[in-house]
Amino acid sequence: MSLPCGIRNYSYNTDTAIIRTKTQWVLLALFLVLIFTIPAYSSGFQLGIFNLIGITIIAIIGLNILMGYCGQLSIGHAGFMAVGAYTTAILTTTFGWPFFAAFICSGISAGLIGLLFGMPSMRVKGFYLAITTIAAQFIIIWIINHWSDVTRGSMGMGVDAASIGPLKLNSEISQFYLIIGVTVLCVLFAANLARSRVGRAFIAVRDNDLAAEVMGINVFSYKLLAFFLGCFFAGIAGSLFAQWRGNITAEDFTFSQSILYVGILIIGGLGTSVGPILGVSTMGLLLYWLLPTVVMPSVESMNILPTGFSSGLAPMIFGAIMILSLVLEPRGLAHLWSLFKVSYRLWPFSY
Amino acid sequence: MTQLLQYTVTGLSVGMVYALIALGFTLIWKSSRVANLALGQLVLISSWFTYSMLVQLKFPVWLGMICTILFAIVLGWIIERLTLRPLIGQPILSLIAVTLGLAYFLEGLVTVIWPVSIAKLPPLFPQEPVSIGTAVISQEYLWAAGISLFLFILLSLFFQFHKLGIAMRATADDQLAVQACAVPITRIFSMSWIFACIVAAIGGVLVSSIGGITNALVETGFKSFSVVILGGMDSFLGAMLAGPIIGLCENIGAGYLTGLIGPGIKDLIPFIIIIIVMLIKPYGLFGEERIERI
Repeated sequence: MSLPCGIRNYSYNTDTAIIRTKTQWVLLALFLVLIFTIPAYSSGFQLGIFNLIGITIIAIIGLNILMGYCGQLSIGHAGFMAVGAYTTAILTTTFGWPFFAAFICSGISAGLIGLLFGMPSMRVKGFYLAITTIAAQFIIIWIINHWSDVTRGSMGMGVDAASIGPLKLNSEISQFYLIIGVTVLCVLFAANLARSRVGRAFIAVRDNDLAAEVMGINVFSYKLLAFFLGCFFAGIAGSLFAQWRGNITAEDFTFSQSILYVGILIIGGLGTSVGPILGVSTMGLLLYWLLPTVVMPSVESMNILPTGFSSGLAPMIFGAIMILSLVLEPRGLAHLWSLFKVSYRLWPFSY
Repeated sequence: MTQLLQYTVTGLSVGMVYALIALGFTLIWKSSRVANLALGQLVLISSWFTYSMLVQLKFPVWLGMICTILFAIVLGWIIERLTLRPLIGQPILSLIAVTLGLAYFLEGLVTVIWPVSIAKLPPLFPQEPVSIGTAVISQEYLWAAGISLFLFILLSLFFQFHKLGIAMRATADDQLAVQACAVPITRIFSMSWIFACIVAAIGGVLVSSIGGITNALVETGFKSFSVVILGGMDSFLGAMLAGPIIGLCENIGAGYLTGLIGPGIKDLIPFIIIIIVMLIKPYGLFGEERIERI
């Protein structure tokens, strides 16, 4: 970790701090103020997009723990999110639990399902594991669609918005504060996890699992822990999504959604703590705001191709960005960001 | 008993088509160790292309087929050149992810060019059903099974005896050593993608002439993954045996379990098989278990 000129660490505490200089504190404070005052200058529609981005950030943080740090490719993340969402829906609607109890349970249930499908990671990795998670995605969605006594099948489930005591969070603004609060906590947790013993073990497993095992890391239990944590985050993201959307069906958690999450994480940058945030922010603005509200109507009005073609535009553009980012910048936006920081620190000198 | 025979015959012949699509996967895996997750999308796009040729442009069948094969060749070459070539030597995660991006891109492309989501190909094979014992099966299935078997034999012979096929197997084994023997490995990669796209296109035409062109073709691709996993990733014979097994499980399971569990169990069976194989014998029936060293 490079430090600005003239800054030196005199104790372990300062050496391990995430935020080290006054400038960083000021910038962080400004950033948080900016984030938390977003509702003051955006419309309800824009707030909806920010809420979706916040929820996606949480899910991608989970995927980042699993895929970025521990190297276990999961292409069933939307399925695990569905587990969380449906846990919340069933507990709050059918059993009348308060939201926050259901929220924690959603995380745990998704984590346990993740453990179940993470079991094959004991013996296989790489492509084999990817196929297992694809199977997990389809099995979970199939169960949701067909276990209609509990999940009401394809009709979907209604979910009440969360409430804190008597205060019901049913406006976009109150939802925004709930979601952004949880997101900030999750980002903080993930950033610290990566620097802990567990995070280092994950990285060792990712880089070379045989070497890690020789060094005394229990590879299988750490892989399972990564599956649990990753799916836990997916579960709480699903829980937030359920109460924000108000009505969920299995259609909200498709396989393409899972691919989308993998793509967003790769574009953002695997194995970094800013990667998920950068990836989701840019791709979320592109996919949820720019394409549907600006590009698609204008392209559709030109009448060059048969009607309805523009709905394929978003996947096409996203797929192209994903391929390009793998070819041109496999380390993602996070790497560009760190390059920028380094050159900023050294500016105006180029070395 | 009649029912069982019917399920068996249908299952076996559907399984042969799965096996054919799985061959496309195994081809690429055997020569470049790239796991192609865009298999279903390749099937989808080549079926739509055939639809354009046969229905929209009203070409005769033979010309349409030639165009489809040419299209598959061009598609395979472009895919390899633009997405896989720059990633040679990258970690397996990138290679898997790039095919996922490709899957996303192709699916979008299909929606952009052919926004109608369902279409039907004109009949390519004689329509009247054939009866085997008490079971009745439409000829299309038999044709599809026959063509798959033929391609399997062709590919096996090619990989066993042809110089290029041997070079492909060698490339999968050790890229550096092959390069040292003056084999142009980039050309090998191109060829393997081109072959895989041709196989996917033929599989796509066969499947969609039976069941029409829908997004379900993508799911056929996923079912082929279960074939690949069960048979072992680098074995043509494995794919060829596992295909009918999956087809059988799917059809017999659907026939007897639908009453017990509910409709739709058919689509789930291949994925359950994947999980079971992963837990018991992850490298499949004929897959080569790789022993790793540090």
